[in-house]
Amino acid sequence: MTAAAIEIRSATKTYASGIEAIHAFGPSSLSVGPGEFISLVGPSGCGKSTLMLMIAGLLDCTSGEIDVGGHVVTAPETSIGIMFQDNTLVPWRTVRGNIELQIELRGLPVAQYRSTVDRLISSVKLDDFADRYPYELSGGMQQRAAFCQTLVHRPQVLLLDEPLGKLDAMTREAIRRDLQALWLADRPTVIFVTHSIEEAIQLSTRVCVISPRPGKIERVIDIDLPWPRDLAIKRSEKFSAYASKIEEIFHGYGVL
Amino acid sequence: MAMASSEKSHSAPADASWWRGFLRGLARSWAFLLFFAGFFLFWQYAIDLFGIPAYILPRPSEIVTRGWADIDRLLYYTYVTAVESLLGYLVAIVIAVPLGLSIAFSSFLRRTIYPFFVSLEMTPKIAFAPLFISWLGFGLLPKVIIVFLVCFFPVVLNAILAFGSLSEELVRFIRATGASPWRAFFRVRLPAALPQCFVGFKYAAINATVGATIAEFIGSDQGLGFYIQIVTGNMRPDLAFAGIFLLTLLGLALFGAVTLVERWVIPWHISQRRSR
Ligand SMILES: Nc1ncnc2c1ncn2[C@@H]1O[C@H](COP(=O)(O)OP(=O)(O)OP(=O)(O)O)[C@@H](O)[C@H]1O
Ligand SMILES: [Mg+2]
Repeated sequence: MTAAAIEIRSATKTYASGIEAIHAFGPSSLSVGPGEFISLVGPSGCGKSTLMLMIAGLLDCTSGEIDVGGHVVTAPETSIGIMFQDNTLVPWRTVRGNIELQIELRGLPVAQYRSTVDRLISSVKLDDFADRYPYELSGGMQQRAAFCQTLVHRPQVLLLDEPLGKLDAMTREAIRRDLQALWLADRPTVIFVTHSIEEAIQLSTRVCVISPRPGKIERVIDIDLPWPRDLAIKRSEKFSAYASKIEEIFHGYGVL
Repeated sequence: MAMASSEKSHSAPADASWWRGFLRGLARSWAFLLFFAGFFLFWQYAIDLFGIPAYILPRPSEIVTRGWADIDRLLYYTYVTAVESLLGYLVAIVIAVPLGLSIAFSSFLRRTIYPFFVSLEMTPKIAFAPLFISWLGFGLLPKVIIVFLVCFFPVVLNAILAFGSLSEELVRFIRATGASPWRAFFRVRLPAALPQCFVGFKYAAINATVGATIAEFIGSDQGLGFYIQIVTGNMRPDLAFAGIFLLTLLGLALFGAVTLVERWVIPWHISQRRSR
């Protein structure tokens, strides 16, 4: 039996801010195997970002604990790649410079990563914009650049907080396909936050349905569909069965 | 194809001649220039129209000709005031930026010095001017100190704001990379803070000549503030206006220089982008 890549043990988060503490998440437990692709779906404000930050070690659990790579997270987990809900592109660097920022901050030799950077940039079709500044990019292009920034140091665990949030339907489909290809090729462990039930089913090995605040992982649904999952699969009966199952759960919460 | 043409239009303004840019600037600011000219024309002829005596308000043409006659003294005094302003300004920046930086990063300093500064900010610094003159005499030093005082607070308060307000997302990004404090500082915190720092630098640049002038009013034997006071006493408002005109130019030059530095240092900032 292989060790879990990520192990969440009755983790909770209560923000002690303002007049009244906000109980944002948990208690919930989940064990994520290496190479799994887990989606978190749930209504806005249910604690998805909070959980991400706790896994990354950027936020302490109020109770419970989380393991990443076999040890308890107590400090920022620098081995992973995290893409935040708001992108972390800095306005004084070009697309390329922003991707290299990840390398530089880690104190890694930029020269050795040049080909990786180029490859990532072309994989998200930003070749013509590699030397442009973020303000010269559309919202979707910025998100693609931020995606490269997250991947450039080749992390084996990826935490993606709504990475496709600002994209139009067409680009979204294209990036989804790229993300799936990347995952099938390298098999990183991925935790993926999305509002789209379809997207979650298409990409994931398992979908976690989170209840409204205080969010709990109430249902974990195994998605048993063949890879790669393309447009044809989305029209299959099995796919719609998964979709209506999840929709029904949300219906039960009164959020759909 | 579309790509290539947008590429071209983007780099075009950089290749265009200085002259073309100047003409375009002129075309854009014609309304301002017209207003400016109109203002002085009105002034020139309103004097006759309302029969205002020259010892109350001179004509712009008289200000120019009489001022020109005294140009040597005026220029030397401009130089004196410029040195006072510039010295006080630069010393303020050199001291205030590191201090603002330390206050932003030290919760101890934020609890002690910061409230002290905020309350001092409410004090009109210029009220200290007579004291400094009485302590230190008529020389350069008291003027530099007074200019320093009026420049210091805007710079330090904006620097505290600048270094203390990095977005939460970027703070998390830095932490997630495990970057050393130095690396994080030079690669992210410092560049992110520069735009807000320049707000302080520009504000202080406006204050600098004001501080120097008032310091000269109070106790001085040279400089434009001294000059304006003396010629006004001699019933020569024409020369006073000439002095005021040079003070304005000095202020503009200082402000313009800071703006140029800003454009050079943070060309990427939204305030520096010229949409085309
Ligand atoms: N820094 C904070 N201080 C206090 N409360 C917070 C903080 N961050 C989040 N919260 C609260 O925690 C709850 C969960 O927030 P979180 O950002 O994790 O939600 P989310 O599921 O990511 O929502 P969305 O889908 O809108 O991004 C919210 O009710 C929010 O008000
Ligand atoms: Mg969120």
